[in-house]
Amino acid sequence: MEETVQAKTDYQLEFSGKGSEFFSVIIVNWLLTVLTLGFYYPWAKARKLQFLYGETSLNGDSFSFHGTGKEMFKGFIKALLIIGFLYGLFFLFIYLKSPFMGIGILYLGVLALLPFAIHGSYRYRMSRTSWRGIRFGYRGDRKEFSLNFFKWLLLTICTFGIYGSWMSINMRNYILGNIRFGDVEFNSDGDGGDYFMLNLKGYFLSIFTLGIYLFWWQKDLFEYYINNLSMSKDDKEIALNSTVTGGDFFKLAVVNILIIIGTLGIGYAWVVTRTMKYIFDNIELEGNIDLNLLSQTEDNYKDATGEDIGDFLNLDFVM
Amino acid sequence: MKEETTGVFFDGESAIPQEVVLVFDSTKDVLAFETNNGQQHCWELNDVTFEVKSKKMYLEYGKDPIQNIKITDSDFIGKISIFWKNRGNQSWYQKLMDMGIKAHIGFTVFIFVIIGLGYFYAIPWVGEKAVIIIPEEYDAHLGTTFFAENILFNNIDVEKTKALNLFAKELNLKNTKKLKFTVLDSPIVNAFALPDGNIVVYRGILKTMKNYDELVGLIGHEVAHVNNRHSMKMLCRNLSGYLFVSTILGDANGVMATIGDNVNSLQSLSFSRNFEHEADVQGFEIVVLNKINPKGMSNLFKRLQDEEKGVVNIPEFLSSHPVTTERIKDVNEMIKMKPFKFEENLKLKKLFLEIKN
Repeated sequence: MEETVQAKTDYQLEFSGKGSEFFSVIIVNWLLTVLTLGFYYPWAKARKLQFLYGETSLNGDSFSFHGTGKEMFKGFIKALLIIGFLYGLFFLFIYLKSPFMGIGILYLGVLALLPFAIHGSYRYRMSRTSWRGIRFGYRGDRKEFSLNFFKWLLLTICTFGIYGSWMSINMRNYILGNIRFGDVEFNSDGDGGDYFMLNLKGYFLSIFTLGIYLFWWQKDLFEYYINNLSMSKDDKEIALNSTVTGGDFFKLAVVNILIIIGTLGIGYAWVVTRTMKYIFDNIELEGNIDLNLLSQTEDNYKDATGEDIGDFLNLDFVM
Repeated sequence: MKEETTGVFFDGESAIPQEVVLVFDSTKDVLAFETNNGQQHCWELNDVTFEVKSKKMYLEYGKDPIQNIKITDSDFIGKISIFWKNRGNQSWYQKLMDMGIKAHIGFTVFIFVIIGLGYFYAIPWVGEKAVIIIPEEYDAHLGTTFFAENILFNNIDVEKTKALNLFAKELNLKNTKKLKFTVLDSPIVNAFALPDGNIVVYRGILKTMKNYDELVGLIGHEVAHVNNRHSMKMLCRNLSGYLFVSTILGDANGVMATIGDNVNSLQSLSFSRNFEHEADVQGFEIVVLNKINPKGMSNLFKRLQDEEKGVVNIPEFLSSHPVTTERIKDVNEMIKMKPFKFEENLKLKKLFLEIKN
C-alpha cells in the first residue's frame, strides 16, 4: 500500500466501468421495472448508482453507494404524497373555478420544495457514499440554505435573470463547501462575476461560430467548476485540476451521438461509461493530505425523500 | 474447504489500510483474520456481504462501523464466487446479472416485443374501455369549453347557421345526443365535431360543394364521430399511450423516451385514421337511410383532394382528416356493394342553396 508521505502525494481518480457491464445493469433494471409496472424504479436507481460509484476508484479503492431501493422507495412514497398533495390543491382550485389561484399554488409549492429537495438530496446521497468505509457527508443547514435560496432567487427575478450566475455559484459554493469526506472538508470558491463573464463569452462566441464554440464553452465551465474546488484538512490541502479540452469534448459528443443513433439508443450504456471515463481521467488531484489518515466523522442518514422529490422535479445533481 | 489469501482491511473508523491474512473456512462458515494490534476477528459468513467491483472483491461486515476487506487475488475471488453460488446465497438479481450478454440482449428484444404488443393492442383497447366509465356529461363539458375557446377568433354566420340547422333537422341522423350546427365565416376548408354534439362547419368547405348530397355526406361523417364519442376515445388513447410510454421508458434515457413519444404520436395518427374510416362507413349508412345519393360523399372527398393540391390553407384538414385516395376508393366500393335508393329532396335542395349562396 501507499507509503505515508508528508510531501506531495499522488492521487489517482479513475472510472473503470465497462459499457457491456453497464448495459447489463440497465437492461436488467429495465426488465424488472417493466415487469413490476414501474414499482422497481427506486431499486433500479440504487443498482445503477451502486454500479457507477463502484466502478469509480481513488488510489485503487472503489467508492461505494450504500443507498438501498427500500430507502429510496420510502422516499419515493413520501415524495409522491407531497407532490400529490400539491396537485390535489391545484385541482381543488380548478374545481372551485379559480384556476389562477390553483396554478399559483402549484408553482409556489414546487418552488418552495426546491431547496428542500436539493438539501435532502445532498444529505442522503453524501451520507450513503463512502470510500474505504469512510463516509461522505453534507453539513449544510436546511433553514440557512432555504433562506439563502429564496434571497438569491428574488435577486435573480429583480435583475431579470442577471443575478442567475451569482445564484448558481453561490449555491455551489454553499453546497460543496459543506461537503465532508471524513475529516476532510470540501471548499468551492467560484465567483459569480467570473462565471457571468464566462457564460457571456461562451454565448456570443457560440453564436458567431455557429455553435462550434459550444464545446469550448462546456470545457471552460467544467474547468471553472473543477479548478475552483479543493479539499482541506488542518493546514493540508488537495487541489483539483481539470485537463479536459474543447476538442476532446467535441470528439466525445460526436462519437456519443453516432453511438446513440446507430444503436437506436441501446448504446446509451457505452455513452455513459466512456463519458465518465473521460471525465475522471481528466481530473487531477494534487496536494499533501494523506488519505490513509482520514477518519470517520459523518453520520448515517437514511431519509431519501429529498432525493426522490428531486427526481420528480427532474433536478440534476449540481455536482 | 479452507482457503487462505491476503486482503486489505479497513476498520470503518479510519482509512488506514492494514494488510491481513484471511482464512476462509467453509466448514465452520467463518472468515478469520488477525489485525496488527493482535486482535482476532471472526466474521460469520451469513453476515458478510460480498461484492465484486472492478475485478476486486469487497467484503463488508457490521453495521456501525462498517468494516471492509478488499481482496485482489483473482484465484481466491473465483473460488469464493463459486462457493457462494453453490450455497444458493446468490441473490436473484445477481443471477439475472450473471446470465450474460446474450440473455440480456434477449431481454431487450423481449421488452421491445412487449412495447410493440402494448402499443398495437393493449393501449387502443384500454383507451376504448376507459371511455365507458367516463360520464357523457364530461364530453359535453369538454366540447363546450373547446367551442367557447375556438369561436372567440371567428365570426358566426347567423343566417347560414340557422339554415344549416334546418337542413340537418330534415335528416334522420340516428343521433343519441342533441346536435347543434354552427357555420363560421372563414375561408378555411374544414369542419369538425365536438364531443358535446356541436358540429362546426367553415364557410370555406360549404363553398367547395356543388350539390346538397355532399353536405349530407359531410354531416353524416361528423355525426358518426359524435355518436361514437371519437374525441373522447382519442383523448383516452393518447393519455393511456402517454402513461405507457412514461412507465416503460421512464428509467431509460432521453433518446429512447423521444423515440417512444414519436411512435406514440404516429400510432395515434393511425388510430385517428381508423376513426375516420369508421365515420365514413357510418356516415354512408346515414346518407342511405335518408335516401340521399351517396355519390355525394365521394364527390365531396374528391373535391377536397383537389383542393388540397391547389390551395395552401388546408393543412388543418389534412392533418386530422386526411382525404386519401384510399378513402375515396372505400366509399366508391360501398356505393357498388351496398344497395341504396335515392330520390330528389327539394326541401334540402332549397336550404342548401341558402347555405351556400
